[in-house]
Amino acid sequence: MFSDLSAQKDSSLLSRPAGEEQGPVFDRVSPAYSPCSERYKLGDRSFSRQYAHIYAARLMEMRPLLTERAHQKWGSEVTVRKLCDLQTGEQCCIVGTLFKRMELQPSILKEISEEHNLLPQPTRTKFISETDELILEDELQRIKLEGKIDKEKCVTGSVIAIYGAERNDGKFTVEDFCTADLPVQTTRPTLGSDKFVLLSSGLGLGSSHADSMLGLQLLVDMVTGQLGDQGEQNGAATISRVLLAGNLLSQSTLDKDASTKAKYLTKKTQAGTVDAMRLLDELLLQLVASVPVDVMPGQYDPTNFTLPQQPLHRCMFPLSSVYPTLQLASNPYQAEINGVRFLGTSGQNVCDIERYSSMSSHLEILEETLRLRHLAPTAPDTLGCYPFYQKDPFILEECPHVYFSGNAPSFESKLIKGPDGQEVLLVAVPKFSSTQTACLVNLRTLECEPVSFSAFSAEDDEESEMNISH
Amino acid sequence: MDELYLDNIDEYVNDHDKIVTYKWLSLTLGVHVNTAKQMLYHYLDHKRKESSAQLHATYLVSGKFVGNGQTSHKVSVVREEQLEDFKSKMSLIVSVHVYSVQKALLKDSGPLYSVDYDAVKDNLKNCSKYSAIRCASAVPMSSVELQRVREVQQDPTPAPETRKSGMNGNFNIASKPSTKPQKGIMGMFANKAAAKNQDSSKEIKSEVEVTKSKPAVKANPMTNFFGTQATKKQDKTVKEEEAAQSSSSVEQQRAASSQPEEKPQAAAVELPKDTKKDSRSKSKRMEDSDSEEEKMEKKKRRRIKKPEPDSSDEDVIPDSPQQMETREPSPPPPKKEPEPVTHRGDSEVKTRKRRRVLKSRTFLDDEGCIVTEKGYESESYSETEDDFKPTKQAPKHPFPAKQQKSNKEDEKKSQKKASANANKGTKQASIMGFFQKK
Repeated sequence: MFSDLSAQKDSSLLSRPAGEEQGPVFDRVSPAYSPCSERYKLGDRSFSRQYAHIYAARLMEMRPLLTERAHQKWGSEVTVRKLCDLQTGEQCCIVGTLFKRMELQPSILKEISEEHNLLPQPTRTKFISETDELILEDELQRIKLEGKIDKEKCVTGSVIAIYGAERNDGKFTVEDFCTADLPVQTTRPTLGSDKFVLLSSGLGLGSSHADSMLGLQLLVDMVTGQLGDQGEQNGAATISRVLLAGNLLSQSTLDKDASTKAKYLTKKTQAGTVDAMRLLDELLLQLVASVPVDVMPGQYDPTNFTLPQQPLHRCMFPLSSVYPTLQLASNPYQAEINGVRFLGTSGQNVCDIERYSSMSSHLEILEETLRLRHLAPTAPDTLGCYPFYQKDPFILEECPHVYFSGNAPSFESKLIKGPDGQEVLLVAVPKFSSTQTACLVNLRTLECEPVSFSAFSAEDDEESEMNISH
Repeated sequence: MDELYLDNIDEYVNDHDKIVTYKWLSLTLGVHVNTAKQMLYHYLDHKRKESSAQLHATYLVSGKFVGNGQTSHKVSVVREEQLEDFKSKMSLIVSVHVYSVQKALLKDSGPLYSVDYDAVKDNLKNCSKYSAIRCASAVPMSSVELQRVREVQQDPTPAPETRKSGMNGNFNIASKPSTKPQKGIMGMFANKAAAKNQDSSKEIKSEVEVTKSKPAVKANPMTNFFGTQATKKQDKTVKEEEAAQSSSSVEQQRAASSQPEEKPQAAAVELPKDTKKDSRSKSKRMEDSDSEEEKMEKKKRRRIKKPEPDSSDEDVIPDSPQQMETREPSPPPPKKEPEPVTHRGDSEVKTRKRRRVLKSRTFLDDEGCIVTEKGYESESYSETEDDFKPTKQAPKHPFPAKQQKSNKEDEKKSQKKASANANKGTKQASIMGFFQKK
């Protein structure tokens, strides 16, 4: 525990200043760091291609993995067939990409065709229904799936292997299925001392209610060694890195009307992001002067919208970009910190899966994507994604030690084990603006703990008064 | 410590009616944050004993907190009257100190933030000067370093090879340009240079570094391509050149299909780049002190290769078929980005007038000892024709044969650069025109 490490016997601050001596100064630990986000950088951006290539590339790369898993699971004598070679009644294994046909999935075509007699639809947070159908596709064909597979939980785009038989009516009865599961993992070096990486997301700067700002400032002050006692500052010096996982700006900085309003009306108005970015720059400046910071963009940040999101541009950070400690990273993010491999996103992939499956815990979804060995299976179906066509960069080739996603409604973390002894720490990094919570990952023990910040407000009083009256 | 600060704080709190936070105090008085916390405590204590005017204080409490089934580290700012209550809720207290002192009772914590915000804003440059943590690596970069970083940063973005990668590149190639193509180009130049200037030992040193770095990059299609081409170029037969291109393009495709293995190497590539940068700056420094003409020439030529597209003229060179080939597949050297656009415009205008002239001007620059790369280049544009006659003669003295070769080399280079420039602007058409002539 961070608190245990930072605790000290006697408080030194509730006393008079002692003589002329200056306060203590601790040195920030600086472990080796190497960014490995190359695969998420886009050079050439050509949007003239179709998305089908991604699925083709994905299936091609995943097929051998799944075939191997299938042989492991159901014995090496099981036949793996392509859909076109299927024979009715034969027990076999098929490998393909799942497609979930969803009645409720928003479709622009449907909206247009039904425009004239459109019934007001309730706004939905989930688009699953009883009538959803699961279909498995391979390069040539598709087949409907029935049987022992949880269609609620599955999402479009995941590549899986299925064991079963085709029936007379042309549907495939599923008896069992398996996923590609965790990729191989490099061993983690053993550390002599505790070192931490602080993960935070959803700072939500520029939102209309700024009451959360003191919490954020406390976070900054804690990390930079301003507040707290010597013990706390000593502990804070072991925070080797800060990782901001997206949505640095608030959703309210996006002005949806701007594009539809007449130009002359918006001529003199300034984009909401301008002030928020300035605030962010100042905040980052305080951080980078004391600790290395990785900044990932998120859904509401000023960079491209589709995954992989490219790093925010340096020119937006005139103050903080002077420091070499500021790393503008891509989303998804991958890096090795002291030999511990971090992989994560700002949460779009998880939120999207949440919408199109029955799973609602971010942690559960994270684990599922790890088992599927794919960061964002729903891209490009319901999640914006660059039209890759030779390779799907979201397939996990190496198993991370810490796998996180940002902007979760609450903090969750869990250590899972893979079939080959892999150990992965899953972290759902909470939205800071609503939870006032960040989290610390201990690089030595792979433990994760939340750090929360609070300040008093007028409402506290009212609450306590109400409590008294009851 | 003298207790003058008590009067100071008293003045701030009572006379100026300020909210005095420890951070504000630390920045205002220029003392360590912990000292500021103690000062506030002392002041508060002092005043309480005097029991004069009423003062309100807020405290910071941090420690282990168990709640909602989770154990967390909690950092809170609380009012004085809640302090004991709050402390009792914590399962382990790590630190308690005075956060702020003020005359008024604070309804909420908003003002605390704005006080700190203003204080920090006034001291942005040294906001962590009085904090308890030093970070050795967090040193602001000088403008030169910054420039360099920006150059590196911009490399990935230009995506100049779109034309080619449209065919087969996609993500793989597209994802690389950040490090590799540059390598490739460098490697190419380096190779050539190695063949040509082997006599200067300093050259070789840097050469070695470059070649060392090559193996790491070998798998890269671009590099392969240049590698083969560079070697071929030495026997100046056009046909072979063509053959090389076709074969290398095959290679390129093959390499593209075998991308996955390269992935791990991407990290390795980072290093060589750094070393090369070092070597560059080293050679620059040496050059400054160097008095020998010949060496200077050579070194400068080398330098031109990398960062600067100085004489950006589409020259007239007899062995043009080769140029076509080199030009077409090569992603324009990424280093070009930072160069100011205005120069480019100038040079283009001039280029059209007299191509030869401009080319030789490059050499003039080699002679004239201009140190900074940028300035160098712009000067070359502004010079007049007459200047470079002498320059042409100059190179002949030292090593005639080599000089010629390297002349060619330079020319080629400048052409490539020119083509790069062309790509950048509207000049795509001019390349096409070039081809049509043939």
